[in-house]
Amino acid sequence: MTGPQPKTFLAGAKLLWRRQRVLWLVYAVNFLLALMAARGFSGLAGKTLNHSLAADQLVHGFNLERLLELASMPDSPVRGSLTSTFYFSVTFAVFMLFATGGILTSFYEDRRLEGGPFFEACANTFWRFLRLVLYLVVALIPAGILTAIGGSLHRRIDAQSISPYPAVIFVAGAAAVILLVLMCTRLWFDMTGVIAVAEYERKMHRALRRSARLMWKNFGSLFWLYLRITLAGWVIFGMGIYLWIFHVQPEAILQAFLLGQALVFVGLATRLWLRASEALWYRQHLAAFFASAPAVASAVLPSRAIGATPLTSETN
Amino acid sequence: MRFLRWAFVFAAAAILSPGAIGAQARKGVARKAANAVAQDTSAAPKQPLSVRVVAYEITARLDPAKHTITASEVLTYHNLTGQPQQTFPFHMYLNAFQPQSTFFNEAARDFPDHAWEPENYGSIRVTRLEVVGAGDLTNQLQFIHPDDDNANDRTVAQVRLPKAIPPGADVQFKIEFEDQMPLVVARTGYIRDFFMVAQWFPKVGVWWKGAWNCHQFHFDTEFFADFGTYDVKLSVPQNEIVGAAGDLVASASNPDGTKTLEYHSEDVHDFSWAASPSFTAVEDSWTGSAGTVQIHMLMSPGNMRSAPRYLQALKGTMTVFDQWIGPYPYDRITVIDPPHGGWDAGGMEYPTLFTADNGWYFPKWILLAEDTVEHEYGHQYFQGMLATNEFEEPWLDEGLNTYLEAKVMNALYGKGTSFVYTIAATGGNDDSRRAFYLSRPDTDPIARLGWLFYDDQAYGAILYGKTTMVLLTLEKIIGEETVRRALHTFFLRYRFTHPTGDDFVKTVEEVSGRDLKWYFDQALYGTAILDYEILDADSEPLDSAKPEAGGAKSKKELYRTYVTVHRKGDFVLPEDIAIKFDDGQIVLEHWDGRDRWVRYQYDRPAALVSAEVDPGNEVWLDRNLFNNSYRVQADTSAQKKLGNFWLFLSEWFAQILAWIT
Repeated sequence: MTGPQPKTFLAGAKLLWRRQRVLWLVYAVNFLLALMAARGFSGLAGKTLNHSLAADQLVHGFNLERLLELASMPDSPVRGSLTSTFYFSVTFAVFMLFATGGILTSFYEDRRLEGGPFFEACANTFWRFLRLVLYLVVALIPAGILTAIGGSLHRRIDAQSISPYPAVIFVAGAAAVILLVLMCTRLWFDMTGVIAVAEYERKMHRALRRSARLMWKNFGSLFWLYLRITLAGWVIFGMGIYLWIFHVQPEAILQAFLLGQALVFVGLATRLWLRASEALWYRQHLAAFFASAPAVASAVLPSRAIGATPLTSETN
Repeated sequence: MRFLRWAFVFAAAAILSPGAIGAQARKGVARKAANAVAQDTSAAPKQPLSVRVVAYEITARLDPAKHTITASEVLTYHNLTGQPQQTFPFHMYLNAFQPQSTFFNEAARDFPDHAWEPENYGSIRVTRLEVVGAGDLTNQLQFIHPDDDNANDRTVAQVRLPKAIPPGADVQFKIEFEDQMPLVVARTGYIRDFFMVAQWFPKVGVWWKGAWNCHQFHFDTEFFADFGTYDVKLSVPQNEIVGAAGDLVASASNPDGTKTLEYHSEDVHDFSWAASPSFTAVEDSWTGSAGTVQIHMLMSPGNMRSAPRYLQALKGTMTVFDQWIGPYPYDRITVIDPPHGGWDAGGMEYPTLFTADNGWYFPKWILLAEDTVEHEYGHQYFQGMLATNEFEEPWLDEGLNTYLEAKVMNALYGKGTSFVYTIAATGGNDDSRRAFYLSRPDTDPIARLGWLFYDDQAYGAILYGKTTMVLLTLEKIIGEETVRRALHTFFLRYRFTHPTGDDFVKTVEEVSGRDLKWYFDQALYGTAILDYEILDADSEPLDSAKPEAGGAKSKKELYRTYVTVHRKGDFVLPEDIAIKFDDGQIVLEHWDGRDRWVRYQYDRPAALVSAEVDPGNEVWLDRNLFNNSYRVQADTSAQKKLGNFWLFLSEWFAQILAWIT
C-alpha cells in the first residue's frame, strides 16, 4: 500500500449507524437468549426469595454473604442455572458465526439487506466462517504458549525477587504482550472474514495468507483503528459501570436494568463498529489500489471486489 | 468518605463499650498508680504468672545459605506430676515435613493435586541426648506414633531414663540437634532470605489427666505445651534483622561476621522467631491496664503500606481485649509480615509473636489485613495464656477466638461492614464466618479430636464457623453481655493453665446462672442441623363475616389466620415468632421448639401480612435464613434485581464466547 491510509474511524461509526438494523438484530438475539437463561434463574430465585423477608437484605444494599448463602443452598438458583446459561451462550456464539457473513455483506456493500438476502448471505458464508473459527483455534495456540511461558517466568521471578513488584511488573508487561497478540490475531481473522465476503474467497487458508500480507503492509493503520475503537468501547463501558455502582440506588431495579442493557448494547455496538470499520477500510483500500493501478487490478481482482455490484447468490 | 467511615467505627466502638471514656479516664489514674508501685518494687523479683514446669536454654546458629539451624538445648523439667516419671516424650515437629509423615498423608488426602517439592522437606535430627546423672541416652530415643500408628511418622520421640525422677524433683536434658528448614510450608520454613522458625526444637510433652499428652504433628493442629521460661541465644549473620518471642537482653558481635542475640521469655509455652535482612522495623507502643506494651513490627519489602493498617487493627484489638477479656501481661508483642510467596507462614500465632498476612494486591475495602491481625492477637489469650489442648479440643482456641474476632471486628469496623466495605456491596465478619459454617455444617461435632475431622474444610467450617455461630446464638439465650462476662471470667480463672471444654461450659453456666446442658449437648457434641421454617401461613375471611348476597359488608371483616412453624432439623431451640397483621398489630409467640411443628390460629378483624421465626435474627445457627419468614404478598424486588444481574452476566458471557467468531 503506497497511497494514503483510509480514514475509517468515524466513517465506520457512521456506517454502523446507517446499517443499525444488524446491530438491533444481534442485540435482540443476545437479549432473548440471555432472557431465557435468566428466566430459569429468576424462577428458582423467586421460589426462595419472593415470600421471604430475608430477601430485603439483597434489595436494600447488597449483602454479599446473603448472596453467597443463596448460592450455597441445595436448591441454589446459581447452580440450577449455570448449565442453561452456558448453552444459551453457546447458541448465541453459533448465531454470531452464522450471522457474520450477512453482517459483513451489509457493511461491505453499505446497503440494507432485507431478510431473504441477509440470511442468504449468512448461509452462503457459514461454512467458510466455521472453517475460519477452526483456523482461529490453531492460531491461538501461540498465545496459549506465550501465556504458559509467561506464567513460568512469573513464578521464577516471583520466587527469586525479594520485592513483589518485579513479578507484578512482569505480569503487567506479559499481559500487555498477550493482549496485543490476541488483538492482532483477532484483527487478522476479522480482515480474513472481510476478504472472504468481499472477494468470494472460499479457500480460507488463501484468504488468511492474503489478509496476513495486508496486515503486514498496513499494520499501523489497521491496528490503530482496532485499538481506538476497542478503547472507546471500554471507556464507555467503564463509565457505565461507574454510574451503576455510584449513582444507581440499590433499589432502583428498572434503572439498573436499563443501564445494564445500554452497556450490553455498547459492547455489541463496539464489536460491530469494528467490523464495519474493517469492511470500510478494505473497500477504501481496494479503491485506492485501483485508482493507482487500474490495469493490474482488473487483471487480478474480480470486479465485485470493489463493492460496486450487490451480492446476488453463491453456492458452497 | 474515609473520615465518615472511621467516625462510624469509633462511634460503634463507643456504643459497644458503655462508659468507655469514663473507664479510660479511671484506668489512666489507676495506671499511674500501678506504674508508681512498679517503680517502687522494681528491684523485687517478679512473681511468676504461671506454674513454670519447664525451663529451656537454647543456643542456636542459623546458616542462611544451607537453611539449617545447629543448636543445643538444656531443658530442665520440674516433675510436678505428683508421681515418679521415667519416660519423657518430645515433639520433633520439623520431621512432619518428610514423605509419608502423618502431616503429609493428611495433606495429600485433602489436597491430592498439590505438588510437594523436595525443597518442602524439612527435618530435625537429634545428634546427642544426655540426661544429667544418667549419661548419653541418644540411642534410647525412639519414635512413637500415639495417634495413628503411622510407622513413618517421626514427629514424636520418647526416651526412657534408667531411673525414675521422683515427684518434685528436676531432671535436666542436654540435647544437641540440627534443623533443616523447609521451603516455607505449614507456618514454618524459609523463602529467599526470610526465615520463619517455629516448632523447631525438641519440646517435651505435657503430663495431663494422668498421662503424657504428646500428639503427632497433624495438618491442622500442633499446640499443647507447659508454661515455663525460655533463654535463647541466636547467632545469625550481622545483616539479619530478627524478631523473636522474647525480650532482647543482650547482643554481641562475633569475630566470624555473625552476631549473637540473647532473648528471655517467661510464662509462655513456646518460642519462635523470624529473621531476614530485608525486614523494615516499625516500632510503636500501646498502653493497657497492665502497663505499656512495645509493638515491634517487621515488614517485608513491598508491603510497607500495610503497616499502618496492621498497627491500627492491633491497637484497636488490644484495647477491646483489655476491656472485654482481661489484661495483656507481657511487655512486648512482635508482628512478622511474611514476604510475598511466603503466605504459608502468614496468619499464625505464637506466644508474644504472630505473623500477619496481607498481599499487596488486596484492596483496602477487603479487611483481610485487619482481620488477620485481630485474629492472631486474640490467640495471645485463647491458646497463648489459656493454654488449651489444641489437638484434642481445638474449638477452645480457634472457635472462641473466631467468635471474639467477629465481635471485635464489628466493634472496630462496624457491623455489616467489618469484612467487605464498598459502596456496591458490604459484608460483616460474622456473616463471613456464617458462610464458612454453611460450607460444611454437619460432618463433625465441634468437640472432636483435631485430626479426626472429615477434612480440612470441615475442620475450618466447624471449628471457626460453627463455634462462632454457637456463641452468637448463645447470646440470644443468655444475653450478649453475659457471654462476654463468661469469657472474661473464663480467662481470669484459667489463664496460664490448661482448661478444658467442660471448664468453659461450667463457667458459662455459672456466670449465666442457667443450666445449658441441653444447648451445649446439641451444639458442641452433636451434629444436628438447626433449621426452623414457616411451613405455611395464610388468612381466610370467616364465612360468618362474609357479606350476604345483596347485603351490606360487615364493618370489620373477620379473618381466620393460621401460621405453621416447622422444625426441619433435629436441633431443638426455643423460638420466637412474630406474626404481623394488616392493621399494624404484631403478635409475638414463643415456642419451645420441641415438637416437629406448631400451628397458631387467630380469628381477628385483620389479615395476615407476614410471619417470621426469630424476628430479631439472633439464631445464627439456623442453616437457612430465607425460610424463616413468609409474607403473604409476594415481593419480587429481589428476584428482579438478581434476575437482572443474571441477565446482564449471561449477555456478556455470550458476547465473550462470540468473540471467537
